[in-house]
Amino acid sequence: MEILSGFGNGLLVAIEPVNLLYCFVGVFLGTFIGVLPGIGSMAAISMLLPLTFYLEPTSALVMIAGVYYGAEYGGSIASILMNIPGTPSSSITCIDGYPMAREGRAGTALFASAVASFGGGIVGMIVMAVLAPGLAQLALNFGPTEYFAVILLGLVAASAVSNGSPVKGITMVVAGLMLGTVGVDITTGAERFTMGIPEMRDGVHLVIVAMGLFGVGELIVSIRANATGAHQNEIDYAQFYPTRAEWKAMFAPTVRGASIGSFFGALPGTGQTVASAVAYAVEKKVSPAKARFGKGAIEGVAVPEAANNSATQTAFIPTLTLGVPGSASMALVIGALMMYGIVPGPRLLVDHSDLFWGLVASFLIGNLLLLVLNIPLIGLWVRLLKIPYRYMYPTIIVLICVGVYSINNNVFDIWLTLAFGWAGYLMRLFRFEPAPFLIGFVLGPMMEEQLRRAMLLSRGDATVFVTRPISGTLIAITCLILIYAISSTLKARRARQKAQVAGE
Amino acid sequence: MMKDVLIRLRREQGAARPPHAYFGALGGGALFILSLVFIVGGYELGPGTLRRLGTGAFPMITGVILAVLSLAVMAADLRDTSDAERPDWISFAAIGGALAVFALTVGRIGLVPGVFLTTITASLPDPSLPFVGKLALGALVGLGCWGLFIGLIGLPFAAFGGL
Repeated sequence: MEILSGFGNGLLVAIEPVNLLYCFVGVFLGTFIGVLPGIGSMAAISMLLPLTFYLEPTSALVMIAGVYYGAEYGGSIASILMNIPGTPSSSITCIDGYPMAREGRAGTALFASAVASFGGGIVGMIVMAVLAPGLAQLALNFGPTEYFAVILLGLVAASAVSNGSPVKGITMVVAGLMLGTVGVDITTGAERFTMGIPEMRDGVHLVIVAMGLFGVGELIVSIRANATGAHQNEIDYAQFYPTRAEWKAMFAPTVRGASIGSFFGALPGTGQTVASAVAYAVEKKVSPAKARFGKGAIEGVAVPEAANNSATQTAFIPTLTLGVPGSASMALVIGALMMYGIVPGPRLLVDHSDLFWGLVASFLIGNLLLLVLNIPLIGLWVRLLKIPYRYMYPTIIVLICVGVYSINNNVFDIWLTLAFGWAGYLMRLFRFEPAPFLIGFVLGPMMEEQLRRAMLLSRGDATVFVTRPISGTLIAITCLILIYAISSTLKARRARQKAQVAGE
Repeated sequence: MMKDVLIRLRREQGAARPPHAYFGALGGGALFILSLVFIVGGYELGPGTLRRLGTGAFPMITGVILAVLSLAVMAADLRDTSDAERPDWISFAAIGGALAVFALTVGRIGLVPGVFLTTITASLPDPSLPFVGKLALGALVGLGCWGLFIGLIGLPFAAFGGL
C-alpha cells in the first residue's frame, strides 16, 4: 500500500511538465549519442552532465536516467544495423540482430528490441519499487563500520567482475581512491597533493574525470575504428511489425530476460553486460528454437534487450538505497546527486521521497517515451548512422570542450580533461578498465570518512570490521568474490595455455 | 601536401608490428611511481594514530596497496607474449591538440574562433576530408555553438574577443 501511494505521488512528480520535458530531452539525446558506434552510456552521461547543473535535482536525475537508458537502447540500434555495439552491453544483441538485418528484417529486429526493452524496463521498475524501500529500511541500522564494508564490497565487486583482468580492475579502483584524496581534507582542512595549484583545492571535478576518461578516451579509440566505413549496409524496412508467431515467440523470452536482468542489475559490479550475456545463455539452453540462435532468431534480440534494460533500472537500487554504485554510470549518478547536496543512502527515501518516487515513476514515462519515440524515429537514427564519422567526431570534441569549460569558465579544467583523456586512452592501450577507476574516485572520499569514523568509534580496534555481524558478513562475501574472480582468471589462463599447446 | 603526409603516416602506423602485451607493463610502472608519490606525500602529511587517522593515512594505505598491485600487474604483463592493441598516435596527438587549442584560444579570441580552430585541429587526422571541408566544418560548428550555447542557453561566453 505504501509502495502504491509512494508510486502515485511519484507519478505526479514525473508528469510535471518540466520533468516530462527533461525526461524527453534525456531519452532523445541519450539515444542520439548511444547510436554513435563506440560511444556508450558512460560517455553520453559525462557529456550531458554539465547541462543538468542548471536544473532542479529531481529534473536533473530524471534527465540523467533518461540519458542512461536512452543510450543503452541507442546502443542496440548500432548493434543490429552495423554489427558494432554502441555500448558493451548491447554486444549480445549483435549475435542475432545483425543476421536479422542481413536477411532484410532490420525493421522487425529494431521493433522487437524496442518492445523487449520496454518490457524489461517495466519489470525492472516494479522490482525497484518493491525492493528499494525494504533495503533502505535495513540500511538505516548501518553504522560507519557497515558502510565501510558495503563500500568495500561494491568496489571489489565492480572491479573483480568487470571485463579484463581482476587484478588490473582492483588496481584501477585503488588508483581512483587515491585520486579522490586530492584537494582539501574536509576533516583537518589540510591541502593534499594540490601541487600548490589553487584550482586543485576543491579536488578534481567528477565531470572532468568522466569526460576525459570516457568522452575523450573513447573518441581517440573510435576515430580509427570508424574510419573503415564498413557499416554502410542497405537495409529493407518493408517488414517492420513482427508477425503473430514472432510476437508469441518473444513473449516468454522477454519475461525471462527481464527477470534475469533485474536480478543482475541489482547486484553491484555485474551490470547490464553480465545480465544480457547470462540471459542469452539461459535462453539458448531452454528455448525450443535453440538451433536458430545466432542465425537471426527474434528471441535472441528480445532476451538481451529485456535483460539489459531491466538491469539498467535495478542498478539504481544499491545506488540510491546504499549509496554504493554498481557501475561507473551509477557512480556518476551519485556524483551528480552530491553536487546538489543530496547524499544517496537509506535516508534518501525518507528525506527526499519525492525525488526517489519521482525517479521510479519517470522510468515508466521514460520507457513509454523510448517506445513511442523510437518506433517512428528509427529512420532518423539510420540516417544519423550514414553521416560520415569525420564530421561527427570533431563536433563531439567541441561539445566536450564547451561542456567542461562551462563548469567554472576556467581553461585549467580543459587542460585537466586533456590529461585524463590521454590517460583514458593509455589505460585502454595497457588493457586497464577506466570504469573501476571512476567508481573508486567517487567512493574514495566516502570510504575514507567512514574508515576514520569507524576507527574513532572502535578506539583504534581494526578487528571491528570482522567482529560486527553485518560488516563481518559483507567482508566475507567480498573475500569470496575476490577468490572467485582470481580462480576463474587462473582457470581461463590454464585453458588458454592448454589450447595453445594443443594448437602447436 | 598535408593529406599525403597523413596518408603516409597512417600507412606506416598500420604497417608497424603491433607491440607485445608487455608494453602494458609500462602502465604498471607508471602506477608504481604514482603510488610512491602518495606514500611519501601521505607520510609527510602525517598518518596519525590508529584511533585518529591523520590526513595522510588514507593516501598512504591506498599507496601501499597500489604499489603491491602495480608490481603484480607488471609481473603479469611481462610474462604475457601476445600482441597488444596497435596505438593510434596520430589521433592521440590530434585530439590532445584540439583540446589544447581550445584551452589556449577560448579566453583570448572568443568562443566562435576558438571552436573553429579546435574543429580544424580535431579533424586533422582524417585524410579523407579535404582542407576546404575542414574549414567549412569548423565554420559550421563555430556558428552552431554560438547559436546554441550563447544564443539559446545563454552561457556567459564571449563569442569574439577575450572575456
